[in-house]
Amino acid sequence: MTAIRSRLSIPAEPTVRVALGAVSVLTMLLVVGLLTGGIGPAYLLYLLGLSGMYVLLAIGLNVQWGYTGMINFSVAAFFGLGAYGSAILTASNTPTGLSLSPLVGLVVGVGLAAVVAVLIAVPTLRLSADYLAIATLGLAEVVRIIIQNQRAVTNGNAGLRGLPKFSEGWPLLGGFPTGAPTVTLSEITLGPFTLLGFRLGRPVWQGLLDLSVVVVMILVVYALVRRLHRSPWGRVLRTIRSDEELAKALGKPTFRHKMEAFVLGSVIMAVAGVYYAHLNLFVTPQNLAPINTFYVWIAVILGGAGSNRGAVFGGFMIIAIREGTRFLRELLPQQLGSGGAVTDLYTTVIGNFGATRLLAVGLLIVLVIRIRPEGVLPPRSELIWPETREEPDE
Amino acid sequence: MSEPLLEVADLRKEFGGLTATDDASFSVSAGTITGLIGPNGAGKSTLFNLISGFYAADAGRISLHGSPITDASPAEIAAAGCVRTFQTPRPLEGMTVREAMMIGPQNQPGERLGNLLWRSGDVAAAERSNLRAVEQILAKFEIAHLIDQPATDLSGGQLKLVELARGMLTEPDILLLDEPVAGVNPTLRNALAGHLRRLHEDGTTLCIIEHDMEFIMELADPIVVLDQGHVLMEGPPEAVRSDERVIEAYLGGERT
Repeated sequence: MTAIRSRLSIPAEPTVRVALGAVSVLTMLLVVGLLTGGIGPAYLLYLLGLSGMYVLLAIGLNVQWGYTGMINFSVAAFFGLGAYGSAILTASNTPTGLSLSPLVGLVVGVGLAAVVAVLIAVPTLRLSADYLAIATLGLAEVVRIIIQNQRAVTNGNAGLRGLPKFSEGWPLLGGFPTGAPTVTLSEITLGPFTLLGFRLGRPVWQGLLDLSVVVVMILVVYALVRRLHRSPWGRVLRTIRSDEELAKALGKPTFRHKMEAFVLGSVIMAVAGVYYAHLNLFVTPQNLAPINTFYVWIAVILGGAGSNRGAVFGGFMIIAIREGTRFLRELLPQQLGSGGAVTDLYTTVIGNFGATRLLAVGLLIVLVIRIRPEGVLPPRSELIWPETREEPDE
Repeated sequence: MSEPLLEVADLRKEFGGLTATDDASFSVSAGTITGLIGPNGAGKSTLFNLISGFYAADAGRISLHGSPITDASPAEIAAAGCVRTFQTPRPLEGMTVREAMMIGPQNQPGERLGNLLWRSGDVAAAERSNLRAVEQILAKFEIAHLIDQPATDLSGGQLKLVELARGMLTEPDILLLDEPVAGVNPTLRNALAGHLRRLHEDGTTLCIIEHDMEFIMELADPIVVLDQGHVLMEGPPEAVRSDERVIEAYLGGERT
């Protein structure tokens, strides 16, 4: 067994190194940004929290598309159901004004997403994959427009404010950020650079707390989906992805399996939504825009469809691309010489970097599909229930 | 002859104006190798798709062990013991032969989410015994050396063997094989014939669609001849070989 494993991991190793390389370069840039004061520590923690949210979304889509081959274009809707499901119940200044605990919000947001997932899945999962794609494309817009228009509950386009932090109201944790000590990290001057000139005040402790919430969520979700994927259940999903007729011919109730995978994936997306609501403390219908669905698709394609590690990697890369391009603009010269079509193009691209970022993301996808269609961290062969391996081989 | 295991009565299927299956009736007795032959377009594959539940019949009845399966889903029919293979098996992407074979065993406790979370001991025990069964059956079909190969690396013939072996892992009462030797090299073809004969001796009931006349005439008895969607005749290979109607169906009408 170990021989097989090592044989299998050989072709994967160079890409693992590439992925690790990319992650370490990013980390170094972040550390440099942090030390030189380019990125405030609280903002950095916020970005890491957002990355965690994308990791959760990518894991959810990976269960649906990566494992099972189901095309879901309403990632943003399930995310939004989680976010709004929780926000409506917990916010203090909503039209309903319930101010319940975020834990209630988590349960309700997740439950809401599960119910909607079942409702959309029942009529479409028996049909071919294309119908689910079309139905979910519609669903995403329907959910967004309902949220936009049901002002009595959702406050419409103005969005919901006054949300509590996820940790609020918990014994010990609830009072932690305010009670935590303020540490001033003394400045160190190294030539032209001033290092460590910040205070670990309340925003930083709160940021750390937010980050640990999402880390716990990711650890639980990752452990769960990894266990499910490596099981006979996951094996049936992978068979459905390659050849659903074969799965049926071998007596597998494919509808049940697809339903379970679809609901599980949607629920994970809703967890990400609940987390976002209590990280950002403000939700608007804009959070349900289609672009957010496609960011998550990009994360899964980039990481490698069907790969749990890939989903984690892809989730981080989305934030790296989104935020990284923001800094890139400042680093690049604003103008190149004068005159000429190339210079004009350059000026246009730099001048509209926010919009051309999407173009860059598109190019990246095309490149990945051309060079590595299986993604940066493709799935390893891991479809045998792990506990079986602990027994000695006969 | 013993009682029919699979019975097809007045089965009908139309696609637009084309009647693909035209009141076809035949039966497969337990313990036989029943050959299903007929010229191109005779409706053999349609018949398999109807029996295995992939197509819904317009009229007629199909029964397995005497109970109707006409309206059952493919998965229900397979679970009831009537398992089919496909004409062109597609390899399962990203799986080794071992993993692809592990789809075969029926009623795996690990296919239920609840068991994975709360009864992982049962899942592990079933996995262990299924893994052993996979190794044994691959050895039986003389492809044990392929166990760790990616399924996508197999040749067409090897894929057919893997599919046959996986079909047997489901412990079917009857196995429907759709052109098991199409595109298979002569050596492997003889090996396949040997394997099918051994399955027959072990008591497995087989129903085989095949274009290779020599192969099927040697192997099957009885043979059912289909032409334009209906059953032309049914009988032992010698009778089929010398039957005027069969010759006419294969060679066209001009000779009479």
